[in-house]
Amino acid sequence: MAKQPADQRLELLQGTLDMLILRTLQWGPQHGHGIGQAIRAQSDDLLKVETGSLYPALHRLVKRGWLKAEWGISEANQRAKFYRLTAAGKAQLLRERDRWSQLVTAIGRIMNPAPASKE
Amino acid sequence: MSPDQDELDDEIRGHMAISIKQRIERGEDPEAARLAALKEFGNVTLTRDSMRAVWRPHWIENAEALWHDVRVALRSLRRVKGLAATVVVTLALGIGANAAIFSVVRAVLLRPLVNRDEDRLIYIRQLAPAIGAENMTWSVPEIDDFKSRITSVSAFGDFSTVDFAMVGLGGEPRMVKAGVVGGSFFDVMGLRPVLGRLLNARDDGPHAPGAAVLTYRFWTKSLNSDPSVVGKTVRLGPRTATVVGVLEPAVPYPADTEIIANVVTSPHHLGATMVTSRVHRMTELFGRLAPGASVESARAELTAAHAAMIREHPEAYSPKANVQLTVTKLRDQIAAPARTILLVLLAAAGVVFIIACSNVANLILARSVRREGELAVRAALGAGTGALRRTLLAESLVLCGAGAVLGMLLARPLIAIVAQYAARFSVRALDVSVDTTVLWVGAGLAMAAAVLLAYVPRLPSPHAPAGLGLATGGVRITPGTNRRLRVFATMQIACSFVLLAGAGMLLATLVALQSAKTGFNVRQVLAFDIPAPVIGVDDGKVLNFYQEVTRRVGALPGVDAVAVGSNVPWRDAGGPLGGGGFQFAAEGYQQADGEASPRARMRMVGSGFFDVLGVPIVAGRDFTDDDRGGREPVSIVSQSIAQRLFPNGDAVNRHITWTDPVFSLYGKPIPRRVVGVVADVDDESVVPGAPLTIYQPVRQMGLAGRLFVRTAGDPYAVVPSVTRVVRELSADQPVERAATLEDIRAEVMSPERVNAFVFSGFAGIALLIAVVGVAGVLAFSVSARTREFGIRLAVGSAPRHLLGRVLSEGVGIATIGIVAGAAGGYALTFLAGRLFAHVQLPGALTVIVSAAVLITAAVVASFMPAARASRIDVLQALRSE
Repeated sequence: MAKQPADQRLELLQGTLDMLILRTLQWGPQHGHGIGQAIRAQSDDLLKVETGSLYPALHRLVKRGWLKAEWGISEANQRAKFYRLTAAGKAQLLRERDRWSQLVTAIGRIMNPAPASKE
Repeated sequence: MSPDQDELDDEIRGHMAISIKQRIERGEDPEAARLAALKEFGNVTLTRDSMRAVWRPHWIENAEALWHDVRVALRSLRRVKGLAATVVVTLALGIGANAAIFSVVRAVLLRPLVNRDEDRLIYIRQLAPAIGAENMTWSVPEIDDFKSRITSVSAFGDFSTVDFAMVGLGGEPRMVKAGVVGGSFFDVMGLRPVLGRLLNARDDGPHAPGAAVLTYRFWTKSLNSDPSVVGKTVRLGPRTATVVGVLEPAVPYPADTEIIANVVTSPHHLGATMVTSRVHRMTELFGRLAPGASVESARAELTAAHAAMIREHPEAYSPKANVQLTVTKLRDQIAAPARTILLVLLAAAGVVFIIACSNVANLILARSVRREGELAVRAALGAGTGALRRTLLAESLVLCGAGAVLGMLLARPLIAIVAQYAARFSVRALDVSVDTTVLWVGAGLAMAAAVLLAYVPRLPSPHAPAGLGLATGGVRITPGTNRRLRVFATMQIACSFVLLAGAGMLLATLVALQSAKTGFNVRQVLAFDIPAPVIGVDDGKVLNFYQEVTRRVGALPGVDAVAVGSNVPWRDAGGPLGGGGFQFAAEGYQQADGEASPRARMRMVGSGFFDVLGVPIVAGRDFTDDDRGGREPVSIVSQSIAQRLFPNGDAVNRHITWTDPVFSLYGKPIPRRVVGVVADVDDESVVPGAPLTIYQPVRQMGLAGRLFVRTAGDPYAVVPSVTRVVRELSADQPVERAATLEDIRAEVMSPERVNAFVFSGFAGIALLIAVVGVAGVLAFSVSARTREFGIRLAVGSAPRHLLGRVLSEGVGIATIGIVAGAAGGYALTFLAGRLFAHVQLPGALTVIVSAAVLITAAVVASFMPAARASRIDVLQALRSE
C-alpha cells in the first residue's frame, strides 16, 4: 500500500461524499472509522475523508432515512456506532450512481473530444 | 431520534479507540499512536458541533439567519435616520389609530354583558314611526296583558325613570335620576348584589316598606364604597326608603341612574292613572326567554299579542301612529346606537392604515431601488431569493416593530378619547379598558405590514444581466419602479380625498348648526333646575314658592329679568313634555279627510318668560300674574300655529282645545282663549325648525321647575346669590345645573362636534401622510433623473420649465388620485347606503374644497423636489454616471 504524498491527494468533489458513503456501506454495516478507511483504501489513498466532514455527513444521511445507526462491538472489540444502508438508501445510491456516470460522460466529452468532431 | 451530547461523544471516542488500537497493532508506540489519532481527527469540538447541527430543526437556522439580518438591518437603517423615522411614525399613526378603535369596538359591540345568561335577555320596545316616536315605552295595562298572554318569555322586568329630590346620604339635597322597578326586575336581568340584597317580589305592592338599591358607580364615586350604607334611610320626595343593597357593576340600561327603588317610593306609580291608563306610557320592558324559546319565536308571539291588544283597545292606538313593537337581544339594543358610528370609525382607521402602508411601501421601494446595486452584488455572490427576501423582511420587521411599539404608546391615550366619544352613544363604552387585545391587534397589523412591505421591492432577477447595476453601483430607475411608486402615491391621494370629503361634510354640518339662528337670547340667559318638591300636584303653596323666588331673584343686583318655565331649551328635549307633542283642535279649523289632528308641544311659562328669553311677541299680549287658577283659561301660540291653522294668521281671541286621549283622564277638555302669538322657536332640536307650540300660564297649570334669569354682566356671577335666595325660602330645595343657553346648546351639540373633530383628525393624518408620500415620490424621481435634467439644461431648457414639469407631475398624481377617490368614495357610499339608513353624499362645495386642499398640498409637496431639479448643476449632472 504505497502512500501518496499529501499534495497529490484529491479534494472530494462537492456532493460526492454522500455517494461514496452509501457505496461503501453496500458491503455491509460499518462504523465511521471503517468507512473512512474503506474510502481511502478503495481509492488507493487518493481520497482522504476528513472526520470533520464524515461524521456530519453520516448523521445527515441518517436523518434523511438512507442509513440506520445502531451501537455494536467492533472487530477490535470496541463499542462503536455501526451504520447500515436502508432500502431508501439503496435506491438513493442507484440514483446517485446514474447521475455520476452521466456527469463523468459529459465532462469526459468536453475534456477529450472525439476526433470526429475535430476540424 | 436526535442523538444527545453523550452519544456524539461516545461515537467520537469509539472512533479514537479503534484508530489507536489499529496503530498499536501496526507496531506504533501507544503514546505516539494516541497523538497521531488525535491529529488525524482534527478539531473534535467543531466536528461534534457540526454533527449536532445536522439534527437541529430547520427553523432554528432560519431564525438565526433572520436575527443576523435584523442586526444588519439595524445598522443599515441607522444610516438613513430620516427615512426610518418617517416610516416608523407613519406606521405608528396607522397602527395606533386602528388598535385604539378596535379595542373600543370590541368592548362595546363584542364583549358579553355581566348579566346571567345574557344571551337569553331581550328588550321589548313600542314605537310609532309614523309620528316620529322612536320609543313610546309601555303602560302598566299593556305589560299586564303580556304577562298573562305570553309563554315564550318566562318573566318580564319593568323599569321606569323618575326624578326624585333626594335628601340623605350626605351632601346637599339634590335631584337624582332614579329607576323605579317591579320585584321581578333584578331576577329577570340576572344581576347580583355586591352588598346587601336586591329588590324582589316582597318589595312589590303599595304596602311594602320603601326600599332602594344603589348603583355601583354611585356607591363607589359618591359614597367612597362606604360599607355601612346598607340600612340607612333616604328621603325621596315625600316618601322615605331604606337602602337595602348595592348592585354589582353592570351596564346601566335603559338609564344611568344613581338609585333603583321599589314602586312604593313613587306616589305616581301607585296612582290610578299609572295603574289603569293604557295610554300612560313610561315603562321600559325587559324579558327573559323561556327555555326552548328563541328571540324569533318570542318576537312572533309578542307581535301577535300586540296586534290583538291594538284590536281590543282601538282608542289607545291611533291608526295614524302605526304603533309597532320590536324585540332585540339586550346586548344588541345597548350597542345599537354606537354600532354605525364605530364601524364608520373602524373603516376610517382602516383607510388611514392603508394610506400609511402604501406610503411606507413607497419609501421602502425607493430605498430598495437605491440598494439594487447591493442586492445585485449579493445575488451574484450566490445569495438565493430566500436570503434576499429575508434581508428585506428583516428590515421591514425592524421598522414595523418599532412602528407597532410607538403605535401602542399612542393607542393608550387614543382609547381614552375614543371611549369618551363612544360613551355618548353606548353606556358600555364607559368601562373600556386598555387590554391585551390592543397588543395583539398592533402586533398583527405590524406583521401584516412587514410581510407586505418585504414583497413590495422587486429582487434582481438571477437571469437578467446585472452588469450595469453592478458596474456603477448607481441608481437606475426602471419605468416599472416609477410606475409602482406613482400607483402608491395615487392611492394615498385617493384615500385621503375620501376622508377629507367625509370630514368636510361633518364640518359643514357643524358650522351650519353653530351659525343657525335660535331665536333665543342665548348669551345672557341662565337656566336653573329648581324642581318642585312633588311634581304634578296643583298646590297653591308651590305656586307661591315660585312667585316668591321670581320676586326675590329679580331684586338681586346684576339680574335684569327673571321668569319660570317648564322646559330648558335643548336640555329638556325628549323629556315628559317632549316627543311628537299632543293632539289639539283649533277653533274654526277643519281637518281635511284623512288628515291627522295637528300636534303641538305643550309648554308652561310664567309671565315675562318671552321677554327674558328674547322671543318677540308678534300679536296680542304676554301672560300676566292675573292669568291664574280660577280665571279664564288662556294660552299663547307660536306663529306657525297662527299662520297654518287660523285665517290670515289671526289667532288672538280664538280658542284652542287639547284633544289628545292622554288628557281624557283629567275630564272634559277645556277650550283656552289665545291671548298672544309669539315668534317660532325650537327648544327641542338644535337644528331650528318652526314647531307648533302652545304655551300656557304656569299659574293655571301648576307645573314649572325651571328658572330663567337674564343678567346684565357675566351670567355665572349671579349663580351663588340665586342659590342662596332659593335656599332661604326652602332649605331642602335643590338648585341645579345652572348654565347659559349658549353652553347648553354647545353641550347638546357636542356629539356633532366630536364627530367632526375625530374625522378631521383622521383626514389630517391622511393628508399629512399623503403629502409626505407625494413629496417622497417626486424627490426620488428627481434625484434619479439628475442626468436627464442636466442634459435638458445643457441643451437650453430654462430652469423654470423644469420646475413646471415636476410641479405638473405632482398635480397630475393628485388629480388622478382625486378622480379615483371620488369614484371609490361614490361606490363606497352606494355600498354603505345598503347597510346603513342615513348615508348622505357630501355637498358639491365640500368636494371642491377637499379637492382644492389636496391639489394645494400636492403643489406644496412637489415644490421642494421641483426647486432642486431646476437648480441642478449641469456639469455635475452630466458627470453623475
